[in-house]
Amino acid sequence: MREPPYPTELKPYGRALVELARRRGEVLCLSGDLTKQTEVDLFQAEFPDRFIHGGMAEANMMSMAGALARCGHVPFVHTFGVFATRRPYDQIANAIAYPNLPVRIIGFMPGVSTPGGPSHQAIDDVALMRALPNMTVIDVADAVETRQVVAAIADVPGPAYVRLKRGEIPVIFDDSHVLRLGRASVVLAGTDVALFASGMMLAEALAAARVLGAHGVSVSVINVPVIKPLDSATVLSAAAGARLVVTAENHSIIGGLGSAVAETIAEAGLGRPLRRVGLRDTFAEGSLDAPYLFERYGLSISALVETIWSALGRPDPAPPVPTVAAEVGQYSPV
Amino acid sequence: MPATLRVSDPGAVWAVPDPGELALRIRLRAVRMVAPQGFGYLGQALSSAEQVAAVFAAARPGVDRIVCSPGHYIIGPFAAAAELGLIDLAGYGQNGSAFEAIGTERSPVVDYTCGSLGQGLSAALGFALADRFRGSDARIFTMISDGELEEGQVWEAALFAAHHRLDRLAVLLDANNSQVDGPVDSITTVEPIAAKWSAFGWRVWDLDGHDVSAVSAALAGASVRAGRPNMLVCRTSTRHGLDCLPPDADGHFIKLTPELAAAAIEELTGRLEAPGA
Repeated sequence: MREPPYPTELKPYGRALVELARRRGEVLCLSGDLTKQTEVDLFQAEFPDRFIHGGMAEANMMSMAGALARCGHVPFVHTFGVFATRRPYDQIANAIAYPNLPVRIIGFMPGVSTPGGPSHQAIDDVALMRALPNMTVIDVADAVETRQVVAAIADVPGPAYVRLKRGEIPVIFDDSHVLRLGRASVVLAGTDVALFASGMMLAEALAAARVLGAHGVSVSVINVPVIKPLDSATVLSAAAGARLVVTAENHSIIGGLGSAVAETIAEAGLGRPLRRVGLRDTFAEGSLDAPYLFERYGLSISALVETIWSALGRPDPAPPVPTVAAEVGQYSPV
Repeated sequence: MPATLRVSDPGAVWAVPDPGELALRIRLRAVRMVAPQGFGYLGQALSSAEQVAAVFAAARPGVDRIVCSPGHYIIGPFAAAAELGLIDLAGYGQNGSAFEAIGTERSPVVDYTCGSLGQGLSAALGFALADRFRGSDARIFTMISDGELEEGQVWEAALFAAHHRLDRLAVLLDANNSQVDGPVDSITTVEPIAAKWSAFGWRVWDLDGHDVSAVSAALAGASVRAGRPNMLVCRTSTRHGLDCLPPDADGHFIKLTPELAAAAIEELTGRLEAPGA
């Protein structure tokens, strides 16, 4: 793994989809009036005949995607996460999830990664998609996983929802990293705390573990790119080896990774204190930039460090988090 | 025939020598399907019987598709398929039966149906795009209802179909002026229906939906490709063709007492056996 500040890539998803489409004629691309923003201008340029403008009509787009999948196509449907889940929920349920069709719903701009305000911030998309039978739900951490997730979901027999950061995508993992859909992975081993992270929160979790490690708290960090079906074996084994379980997600603490981990350890009868870091049952707000929102809504490295510090009953103030400056084109979690 | 049969499956075979007689048989069959429960979606069968009969007469077995957008209308295609020997309808509406009263993914016969309304037209567009990809000229006969026009998704689909010139689509809109809370025109003004679809770029027929020859003729006209999707606005009634129904029968969900069922069967059987029926 790399250290922050991380280098970034542009359009790793868009390039990976083009590569898949070169090999797989059944792959179609649908866009809900967000073609450049969802990186599929690359697909449109190379495969104009397999590209469909759905327009601003998500309900119609999801129902059409279901019918196309019935006919042997593998439609990848693109828009922002909010519009991909809230607005056409009934269509996804009835036309895609219930018939268990191989439609891939790609929702960009997860959580408070966008300063665009509550209408644009997908803070409940994981919860919504996770509640649907048959749906696979994925939140990848970096460009290496983003590149791999496209091919990884190509042959999932049922539907899949993938939430993806927009714009500059950090490169956290080495090229040797392999994303496996059935597996969560311990990316940092520790003995005191099991810190489960998905998506953009992996970078925050790693930074928090580093700070805590320097102050005598040993944290294991478990990357959980697939929230459903959850790799419960890895979750239980990591949780069993720790005194405290913490989840970190760029999402509401209701219905997402935190809920999934809580359900798993509770059903296994594994009594561990649990803290869920995420949006605390609140809508966020519009702003100038995303780092402000990560700080304000408790998704920062400091918030993670303070949560763990106090949950462990440490009486002294939590250790400070050093700032890692990022140049243009680099990414540093706040 | 297997219970999973769809009209577009290769190997599907049927023939409709007399669509008018099939419409009558659909009504009789629908009464017999609903009678054991004492209630059901008989009104949908009564208003759409001629449309269903005309579709089965026009559709090429094993090639064309049938979409039944409102799942509550599945009784019509089920009844038609049973009359044509395509399925054995045992257990319709009963616990554990694959022939559910509101169409589901288990429902045979049609290529798509859904109990959540307003979604079938979009599915039909997906089929039309898939057919275009594979160079097929299959037609997609799509049943929708006037109540569904209240759903925004229908108009999303209306725009998309015209923009993409999906002219293998033939939509039969059952304008029976009936929805759960009462007559459609007492809930929402959906008229002028024909002018709306025309303005959206569709080729439109506005006709008596109980005139099976008119419906068949319009479907024949719609088979001539003109670069526009085709809309048949079929003016109908949920009570049509069953004189014994009381005047206050709720067209969306008809209650059928044993006495009323017996009277309905007698009336329809008599009409079937009458000379020239």
